[in-house]
Parts: sequence; C-alpha cells; structure tokens
Amino acid sequence: MTSARNRPEWGSNDTHALLNSDIPRVDGPEKVTGRAIYTHDIRLPQMVYARLVVCPYPRAKIKSQSYRKARKVPGVVHGAPFKEVGDSIAFQGADGVVGAIVAETPEAAAAGLCGVKIDYEVLEPVVTPEDALAPGAPVVGRRGNVTGLSSSGDRAEVEAALSECAAVVRGTFRVPVQHHVSLETHGVVVDYRGGNEATVYFSTQGVTGSNREFASHLDLPSENVRVVAHNVGGGFGAKFGGGIEGRIACELALELRRPVHLMLTREDEFLMAGNRSGSEQRVIAGASRDGVFKALAVEADRHGGVGRGALPTPPYIYSVGNTYSEIRSVHTATDSSRAMRAPGHPQASFAMESVLDELAYGINMDPVEFRKKNLADPVYHRQLDRVAKEIGWLEHPHRTQPGVPENALAVGIGFGVAIWGSRSRDITVVDVRIGPDGSVLAATGVQDIGQGARTLVAAIVAEELGLAAHEVSTDIGDSRLPPSVASGGSVTTGSLGPSVKDGAFNARVELAKRIAPMLDAEPEEIRFADHRVFVEGDSGRSVSWKQACASLGKDPLQVSGRFQPHLRDQGIHGAQAAKVEVDLLTGRVTVLKMVSIQDQGLPLNRMAIRSQMNGGMIQALSFALFEERVLDKKTGLMLSGNLENYKIAGCGEMPELVAIIDDEDTREAVMGMAEASNIPGHSAIGNAIYNACGLRLREMPFTPARVLQAKGGMS
Amino acid sequence: MNTFDLQKPTSIEGAAALLPTSSDSRQAVLLAGGQDLLGELKDGLVEPERVVNLKGVAGLDAMNWEADGSLTLGALVTLQSLAEEPRVLEEMAVLAEAAQQVGSPQIRSVGTVGGNLNQRPRCWYYRNADSVCLKKGGTHCFAQLGENKYNAILGGGPTYIVHPSDLAPALVALGASAVLVSPRGRRTVLLSEYYLLPADDGITRETIREPDEVLASVHVPVQRQGMRSTYIKFRERGSYDWALSSVALCLWMSDGMTTGARLVLGGVAPTPWRCESSELLLVGHAVDEQTIRRVVDEALRQAEPLSDNAYKVPLTKGLVTRALQTLAS
Repeated sequence: MTSARNRPEWGSNDTHALLNSDIPRVDGPEKVTGRAIYTHDIRLPQMVYARLVVCPYPRAKIKSQSYRKARKVPGVVHGAPFKEVGDSIAFQGADGVVGAIVAETPEAAAAGLCGVKIDYEVLEPVVTPEDALAPGAPVVGRRGNVTGLSSSGDRAEVEAALSECAAVVRGTFRVPVQHHVSLETHGVVVDYRGGNEATVYFSTQGVTGSNREFASHLDLPSENVRVVAHNVGGGFGAKFGGGIEGRIACELALELRRPVHLMLTREDEFLMAGNRSGSEQRVIAGASRDGVFKALAVEADRHGGVGRGALPTPPYIYSVGNTYSEIRSVHTATDSSRAMRAPGHPQASFAMESVLDELAYGINMDPVEFRKKNLADPVYHRQLDRVAKEIGWLEHPHRTQPGVPENALAVGIGFGVAIWGSRSRDITVVDVRIGPDGSVLAATGVQDIGQGARTLVAAIVAEELGLAAHEVSTDIGDSRLPPSVASGGSVTTGSLGPSVKDGAFNARVELAKRIAPMLDAEPEEIRFADHRVFVEGDSGRSVSWKQACASLGKDPLQVSGRFQPHLRDQGIHGAQAAKVEVDLLTGRVTVLKMVSIQDQGLPLNRMAIRSQMNGGMIQALSFALFEERVLDKKTGLMLSGNLENYKIAGCGEMPELVAIIDDEDTREAVMGMAEASNIPGHSAIGNAIYNACGLRLREMPFTPARVLQAKGGMS
Repeated sequence: MNTFDLQKPTSIEGAAALLPTSSDSRQAVLLAGGQDLLGELKDGLVEPERVVNLKGVAGLDAMNWEADGSLTLGALVTLQSLAEEPRVLEEMAVLAEAAQQVGSPQIRSVGTVGGNLNQRPRCWYYRNADSVCLKKGGTHCFAQLGENKYNAILGGGPTYIVHPSDLAPALVALGASAVLVSPRGRRTVLLSEYYLLPADDGITRETIREPDEVLASVHVPVQRQGMRSTYIKFRERGSYDWALSSVALCLWMSDGMTTGARLVLGGVAPTPWRCESSELLLVGHAVDEQTIRRVVDEALRQAEPLSDNAYKVPLTKGLVTRALQTLAS
C-alpha cells in the first residue's frame, strides 16, 4: 500500500506490503541451478585463455628464462616474459607477475605454463615483520620498512591512570593475514577483436566508470568500451579496479586481436589479489574496582605487506578515560593488503574485546555488565541484553570466572560489539520503464556481488507499484546503464535504495496522473496494491494493473530516480555472542552457537539481512578457528596456496546460527549493515574460550595447537 | 600436466608388465581412484611418460570373505564400500571407522584401498612444486627447520613427513598383509613391514614396493575372538582434513583385564607407528587411570617434536586415552 505524498517516503516499518519481509532472491533459481553466467563462464568465438607466470618467491632476480618449450606446446598461441634476464622481483604480488601464456584451451595454457623455465636467484624473502624490522634488513618499500607512524593521546596521563587501576592487564595480540576467498577469483574476459570497440566481462565490485580503466589500456574512447558484470562471485573488498590481470588481458587482446579470458587461479589469487592485513597489538589496559575502563595504551603494527594495512585508532568503540596509541605499518615483501569487510575492525576488535573481557574477570564483574558500563550508547545495551538472553547467558553457571572442565570438556560464552558508518554516495540514477503490457523494468549500473542488489532493485519498485518482486525486471551490472555506486563499505543499500525508491515513486505518480481521468479521480487519490490501481476509499473504482498499463497506449512510461538524502541514514551498531566447547585433551574448539543482532533502519529484505549476519558469523568463525596465510620464512614460498592448506570452515563446523534484526531501530531510512556483522564474532569466540576454561588465547587462529600450547600441556 | 601414454591393461600381470624394470628409465605410474595421482600430475610433482590405469583389471574391486573368516580386499575396493560393509562394521570396527573418516564423501566414493595405502605425503614442502626438498631429490628437508606443525614427532629424520593414510594404521593393527605382483612373480608382505622410515631408505619413497610392482590386494587375517576395536582420527578441520594424529586400537579383555592389545598411531610418523611396548603395558592390567597414564607416556616416550608440533604429544596422548576409555567401558 502506498500513500500519495509529494516526495518519496519509506513510511514506518509496519506499513509495507513487501519490504521488511523475507523476499527470496529474484535470481536465486538462476544461481543455484548454475544458469547464471559469471565472468568465469564467458565463452566467445575465437576466445583464448591466458595464464600468468607468477614468481613464487617474494624477492628474486631472473638469472635465465625460456618460453621456447612453452610456445611449442600444442594449442599455445602466445608465450612471453614481461621481465628481462637480470630484472628483479621486489615483492610478492603484482611485481611477481613475470610473464603470460595464452592458448586455445585452459588445458593447453596450463601445459604451456609447465613449459616455462625460469631460473631465479632467490633473495632474502623478508616475509615476517621480525625480518623486516631486523637491523640491516633489505628495504621493501620505497619509503622503508616502517611507515605511517601516528600517535594520539598522552602516554604520561595513561600511565598515571593505570597506576590507580584495580585491575591492569597486558597482552600482545596477533592476527594473521587472511584471504578474501571469494568463490569466483579475480579476472576478466576482454572481447576485443580489432576495430574501435570492446566489451569487457569483469568480476568486479564497481561497474560504473570501470570502462575508463579498460579504455585506457585498450587505447579506445571510454564510451566505446562496455563493461559487463551480470553476476559476480563475491568480492569482500578485493575487487575494485581491474588490477594487473585486467591490464595484461587488454594488452594480450590488443596483440592477438582475439577475446582473452584471464581468470586467476586460487594460488594466483592468494599470491597477488590482496588480503586482510594482519596485526600485532601490544596492549596495556586498566579498570577501576567499580568497572570503569580507565586507561588504555596500544602500540600496534599493521602487517599489510607492501600495502598500508588497516587498523582504527584506539579506543575501539568503548569509552576509555585515557588512551594513548602508537600505530605504524611494518612492511614485508608480500602482497599488498586491500579492503576486506570492515577493514581493520576485526583486528581492533580482537585486542579490545579481549582486554576488556580480561578486565571484567579481573574485577569479578559480569563481562556483559562491564561492557554496558563502558558503552554510552543505549543501543548497545539493548543489543547486548538481547544476545545474552538468546545465547543463554542468564542461566550460564559461571559468568564472572572461567568454568571448570568436566571430563576435559568445558563450555563457555563470550561477547563482542560492532560499529559501522554505513555511509552513502549521491551517484545512483535509476531508470524505470513501465510498458503498455504491464511489464516493468528498472535499470541501473549497480552490481550484484552476492549481497542481493538485484532483488533490492526489484523489490523497492514492486512495493511502490503494488506488484510482486519477480514481476519487476531488472537490468544491472553494465557500464552503459545509468550510474550507480561501487559496492564496498556497506554503501550499496544506502546509495542505491533512495534512488530506486525515487524512480519508483516518480513512475507511480506519473502513472497515477494517466489513470486518474479513467477512474474519475484526482491523481493524489490513486493507490496501487495487490496488482490493482484504485481510488482511495472507493475500491469499486479500480482497474487491474494490466488494464492500467494498457491505457498508456503505444509508448512506455519512462522516468528516472535520483538520490534522495532524506531516505537514507547512517551509523549502525551490532552485538554478537558465541558459545563454545573446548576439549582440553585435544585442544579442539567447537563453536556450538552464535547469535548476532543488527540495527539498520528499515530492513528492506529481512531474509537478505539475516543472510548477511549468518555470513558474517561464519566468516568470523572461520577466521577464529582456521584461516592463516603461511609463507616459508627462508624462501618466502607460499605454503598455504590452496584450499587444502588454507583452511576455511566447512559444513561440519557450522554451529547453530541465530540472526536477529533489531526492530527497535525505527529510523525510516535505509543503510547497509553487512560490515558490522563481520567484526565481533571471532572476538566473542576467543572470549568464550576463556569463559569455558580460563585459557586466554592472544594469537589467532585458535587451533588445537594453540589451545594445547596455552594449556601448557607440553611434555 | 605433461602429455603421457595411457594404458589400460586387463590383468594384474599385464599391468605389472607395463611398469618400468630397473634397466628402464621410463617413468610410469599406477592409476586407481586417482584422488592422489591427479593432484600430483596437475601440480607437476610427477611427470610420467606412462599412466597405467588399473580400472580394466577384472576382479580388482572385489571384497571377499574367505572360509576361515579372513578378508581379502582387492586394490580397487572403494573406501565407501569398505566403510559400509556390514561384516567389517561388525567384526573390524577399526577398519570401517578408518575408511569412514577418509577425506570427504566424494573422495571416499572414488578413492580405493590400494590408492589410500600408497598415497604420497601431504607435507607442505613436498606438495609445493617450487620446493625441491629432500624427498624430491633435494638436499634438505625444509620442514625440519621450517613450517612443521603437521610433521612427524616420531621416527623422523632425515625427512619428517607423516604418512597420510587412515587405512594403514587400522590394517597394521589388524595384522594385515599386502600382495605385490611384478613380472618377477608375486610376494606377500606384512603391512607392518611395508612402510619405510626415512632412515631405512624411505626418503624418496614411503614403501618397499618396487617400481615394477603392483599392490594387488590386502589380506586381513581372522581376528582372535572377542576383539573390540576403534579408530579415532583427529582433524584440525572436522569437515574434511588429514589426521593431525590418529589412533588405531584393538583390545581383547577378559574379566576386566586386558588379554591382548594392538596400538598403532597415524599422522605422527613417516609410517604407521606401532606401539608394542605400550601394548605390553596393557596386557594383564585393567584399563584404569594409572595404566592409561603409563601406556600413553610409553607411546610418546620417544617423541622428538620439531619447532611447531610439540602439541601433537599431548594431543596423541589424549586420543590414546579416549580410545582406551571407549573400548574398556
């Protein structure tokens, strides 16, 4: 049911026919049956397959190289180096891409790759922060191995405050480098066969404007290059820009005048397509007897390889009397970090939530109460109370001290909170077209990276026009469509939603004007619901949706929508709880249950929001228990370059997951929420381990080896 | 993967005839379920000129219960069919449980008994195509001083792989033997003598199988009455993974006393690791707390952990404890 105000409004959360309910994805059947076409699936006439030759060593010099044997492999059409003999490789990642092989089939390309013979002089790899900081270490970055030092607060004041604290805890918290592990790896298919035009199929988080980058590589006018990303198999922050693989694919297409398919292998992906930076945080924290977080000193290193890495300035979320911090980047000769779901936040959360927990136990205070006492925002109070109730905290037998294992098994509960800005951008334009046959098409250049953007576009238009979501066709993922926002930082919902709403509103108002004379009413009196168009208060005066559209005559109704700032808001919270079982005989941590609550203003699609929360909890669980990039310290070879050795959680690790939408958030505005749900889960798991058995794990992941080491059970 | 000549013999002798003799420099490999071999081929760890596919050999997938109650497993019996065989479940739980815990359902439905026993190690350095480690003709075992959280704590040196087979510890505990066929004839060897420690010429290979031999079948003898058995596999990731450590245990008890025991560890040594001195500590005793402590201490007495795998000592002790408690209760 829609009202007829003179500007679009969402209205209160209980007035929607379709929105704020569970809306199955309009493209779900396509995706689960494999009919949806991703960049990886593109097959074109005359297409060739490219593979990159990637140096396995972070630092090396090419002593000799030969592509002769590779070029002789049947089916190989091209094989050439990008570097000369004597050239150096300065770091793992983009600089390690030393050549390419192109072939008629993927198999021939792989065989060609085996034929490439390169003899490297392996140089000191500098893959650990310790090696990077050692005196005389080779300089990895242009500006040295330590950059970006920033400090805030007054150390003397913090020390004075610490001296008056009833409880003081110290700890060094280590978070490893984590990969994005998108199901679809990075890559492109560049369809250029000579001439003045090209189409690029691109697995990307940002379609709009990406044609300019490829046009530059292809030396074509940007309007002659079309970028298509109808379906994207995840990005998690790593898929902005075409990268070196995008540039190389363009160069190969220019040379060969044939469409070039260049998708990274999983190993390439791990070597050169970005990661979540690791960190080491050395923390001292103190609290008063009555539970006030008085003082915090943090010295932290970001481990972003040749990149900067990410870590917010402390204190993270909580109010602290006095804080001093010093943060710097320590560079290793490894792949640059990129954005990854809430960049820097999970790292900061781990250290902050852990010391906070320790302080609470240190003064014998319920860690939930301690958190609330040091969180000014009442939203956190209701959210913590809710997850505490749901996880069974109130009945939990030991809340102010760790439990005692029984038959070497111990069960514990832990908590963490989240924060995210959820900003939005004024860029999206949405074209809405209603056909005389009743068809509706909404078009904008946004991309569906798995978050459900396509469904969002359809559902908002359907709501306005009184239709079902699947009755609205969508056209997205194309650089030739009206512009939309790049999906990162949870900006999509807040940037896209208002424009779609505006377009749908304009379409409804325009259609109402056309229908009003038919129904002998004023346009403002026309309502749309349940596939009918009727006069408010007089359902007898109505026509069906089809009849209404038929009145358009030959020409479709076409309108546009633009960003309406009053339809979006920003600033979200979030809390999570985890319940674990620790087996002290084997060191196994089993996550039994996780609970997440999230506010986000108007929940446009409740199912999609719960999916995001489930995804956030699962990624956090996987991060907590398994994920860790491993490089050989002596050579720099990547030892975890596949999904056998870089472990991620599987079905067997899934706990009971409870995703709660915080319906006490009554803001009549939309905003994204996904990043927040990735932030606190692993912290909650670490805290639950402590609550279970008194082991405080300060290094992730929480493997059996680490649990047993912490237990000191070595014999 | 390079191109190779694919042969499909129809008899075991025919298969053996296609394998290289000592004077023949051609590399040839045997293909059964392919779950390990295809990975090795794709990663460039083996580049054979010939692949001999055993699938055409009739009867190699047969599982036969002999009249005396013993069991013969053809090399191509799948792990899934072994895991589901009712008499194995009933009479040799240790073997069924080991088969049930290999890899994932997809791997078990294709992977075979012969392939599982002859698979190559999972060591990070061995599996990395760019690392020329001692097992691949290099000069050093990189795991010894490198990343070694998954490597051996027992029987290591000069290489420190762990044998990845789940069936091997179970079959060694059951006293099984393997039948090897070559152009020179046929021989039967106990599986306990099939695997080679690195120090005993087991550096570039893990078994005594010669290049021209085919493992044709495995024979599991009839067990003494009253056996209880179990296989406990501990994986870092429960969904599917290799053993960080595993325990195959067969126990015979009478009036609360142990009358016989076989204890074999997996995932901790380059071979299935039989703990005979621990077995002796069990016989004649009740499985009480004190005995368990003596048994687990003895089993790991010789452990020499590397920099990152000391946790395997308490882990394995914990698993042996669980296995003993499970079977004794």
